[in-house]
Amino acid sequence: MEARPALRPLTTLLGSCSRAGQTRLQSSTRRTKKALKLPPHPSFLVSAAEADHITYNPPSAAPSVYHTPFKFLPPSDPRRQAQLSSLLRGSTGLPSTAAASSTTTPEIPALEEKHQVPEPKFNVTREQVAEMRALRAADPMKWSVVRLAEKFECSKLFVMICCKASAQHQAKERERKEAIKARWGPIRTQAREDRKKRRTLLLRSEI
Amino acid sequence: MKRLRLDRLAGQLLAAPISPAARLSRPSSISRSIPQTCRHASLYNTQPCQRRHQSTVVSQAPLEEQKQEEEEYLVQEPEDGEPTPEDTLRSGPLPSPHPSRAASSAKLAALHARLSLSPKIPIETLARALVDPSADAHPKYNNANLAYVGSTVLHYHTSETLITRYPRLPMSILFTAMKGYAGNPALHQVARAWGVESAAAPGEEVDPGLLQYDPMKPTVVMNKWGYVRAETIESEKFKSGKGLSGRVMYSSNPFGESSAAKALPNFEVDDGRNSKTMLLQNAPANAHANFVRAVIGAVYMHCGRDAAKNFIKSHFLSRTLDLSNLFEFKLPTRELARLCARENFEPAVARLESETGRLSRTPVFVVGIYSGRDKLGEAAGPDLDSARVAAAINALKAWYLYSPGQVSVPSDTFAEDAAPWKPAYVDIGEIIS
Repeated sequence: MEARPALRPLTTLLGSCSRAGQTRLQSSTRRTKKALKLPPHPSFLVSAAEADHITYNPPSAAPSVYHTPFKFLPPSDPRRQAQLSSLLRGSTGLPSTAAASSTTTPEIPALEEKHQVPEPKFNVTREQVAEMRALRAADPMKWSVVRLAEKFECSKLFVMICCKASAQHQAKERERKEAIKARWGPIRTQAREDRKKRRTLLLRSEI
Repeated sequence: MKRLRLDRLAGQLLAAPISPAARLSRPSSISRSIPQTCRHASLYNTQPCQRRHQSTVVSQAPLEEQKQEEEEYLVQEPEDGEPTPEDTLRSGPLPSPHPSRAASSAKLAALHARLSLSPKIPIETLARALVDPSADAHPKYNNANLAYVGSTVLHYHTSETLITRYPRLPMSILFTAMKGYAGNPALHQVARAWGVESAAAPGEEVDPGLLQYDPMKPTVVMNKWGYVRAETIESEKFKSGKGLSGRVMYSSNPFGESSAAKALPNFEVDDGRNSKTMLLQNAPANAHANFVRAVIGAVYMHCGRDAAKNFIKSHFLSRTLDLSNLFEFKLPTRELARLCARENFEPAVARLESETGRLSRTPVFVVGIYSGRDKLGEAAGPDLDSARVAAAINALKAWYLYSPGQVSVPSDTFAEDAAPWKPAYVDIGEIIS
C-alpha cells in the first residue's frame, strides 16, 4: 500500500504523456501485486560474507513506563552515573544510543501555546486584583473572564480564582448554556457523551 | 506504630494441647443455647475484628460476666441446668471433624505435600487451618488465631517489599497494590490454585482436607492493621476523613479502607441502619483467604520467621501485578507541571515528534514531553491534545514507577550476620492531592 502514493504521480504522468485521458488502474491482480511488492527490510538481507548473524528487527512499540528517564533517576541511583558518562560522550559527538534516545534535537518544534501548560507569570498586583473585582462586579457581561484575562495579561484560571460572579449572573449563564444544550439534536448529544467517555478512558490509559 | 508482639499473640497456638477428652466434652453447635451467645460475645471481644451476619444476635456482656460464662462453659454447667454434662457429651455431632481424623485424610496429606510444607508443621495444624470460624466458633478449633498471625506477617512483608521496590508510589496506588497482593481476592485465587476444595456444608463427618465454612454464620474478617486511633470512631461517626489523608490517618486496615466500625467490638446488629456494613460481601473468598493466612501463620509458628518470609515470597510476592494499570489521573498536565516545579526541573514542554494523516479521518500524532533537553514521556494519540495528555500520563507513570531494582528490605537485618541497615530511598510524598 505504501508504494501506491509514490507510484500514482508517476503513472499519471506516464499516462498523460502516452495516451491522454487514460489512467492505468490497479484493477487486475497482477498489477496490484506488483504495486504492493516492497523490498525486504535491510536487516533481513543476509550477505554471503556474514552467514551467522542475529536479525534484530523488533516491531515498533510504545516506550515502557518502567523505563525511568535520566532526569527522574534519584542522585543515589547507580544508573545515573552510568548514563551520565554516556550522555557526556554523546554530547562530544561519539555515537551513543542512550544519548540519542534521551536528549532532544533542537529542530523538534514545540506545540502551540494553547496545547501547553501555561507558565504562571505572577504579574498582577494587589491593586489590579481589586480593580479586576470591581470591573467584574460592575458589569459581568462586558467584563467577562476572557476579557479580564486579556486586559491583565493573566490566565483565565487566575481571573476565576480572583473574582466570583454574582449568583444572578451565574444563573443567567447557566440558563444560556442550558438553552444551547436544549437545541442539540440526538447526534450532537451522543457525540458529546462519547467525548466524555473517551476522556475518561484516556485518563485511565485505556485507549 | 506500636511494636507487634507476635510471640505473645500467638503463644497459645503452640501451647494449647488438643486433647481428645476436651474435644469430646465440648458441646455441639446444636445443643448450645445460652452459652452460645455468651461464648460468641467473649470470642468477639478477644479476636482482632469481626463482621456478623444479620441473622445472629449478639448479647454484649461485661468482662467479668464473660469470664464467669466461660468458666461455666468449661465445666459444662449452663444456667438452665437442663442439659447435664453427660447429655452434652454426645448429644449431637461436632461442628467440625475431630483432629484425630486428620492423620487419615488423603486430601490433607496431599495438600501438605503439594505445598512442600516442612514436616515440622503437623497435619493437625493444617486441618485446623481449614476450619473457618463460621464452621466452628470455638477459637481453639478454628483458624482465626492462626489467620491473624499469618495476616500480620503477610502484610508486613508485602508492604516492606512494595515500598522498597517502588519508593515513589502514591498512597492510593500503594493501598491498591497491597490489596492486589494480600487482599481477599488475591488470596482466594491462591487458595484455588493450591487445589483447596470446600465442603458443601461443615460438619463432623466431612473430610478434614476440605475447607469448611458456612456462609450463613458469623465469621472473622482479617482487616486490622496495627494501632487504631481513638479518633477513628468519631471520624467514622461523622463521615469525615474520607479523603486520602484521612485514609492514611484513620484507616484501620492495610488497604486504606475505613473499616473502623467493623474493627471495633461494639456491634449493633439489631440496628438496621448499619446492618449493611456488618454483612460479609463474599463469604467464600473470605474463608479461602483466611485459610491461606492461617497456613502462613502455621509456617511462621512452626518453622520460624525466615521460612515464613520465603513462603510469602514464593507464593505471594512472586505474583505479577501490573502497577501501571492501576493509575487514574485527573489533571495529568498540571500534576506534571507541579512535579517539575517541585523537583527544580525545567518546565515541561510538549513537542510534536511525528505525525501522519493530519487531514485524514484517522490522524496519528506522536507527542513527546520534554524538560529542557531530556525527554520525560512520549505517546501517540488521534489529536494533539489527547496525545499530549497521554504523554504527560506516561511521564508521570515513569516518575511514580521508578524502581531501584533489587534492594534489601528491613527484614533482611533480622539475620544474625546481617550487614547494618542502609536507609532505602523513599520519596517525600504526593505531588498534588
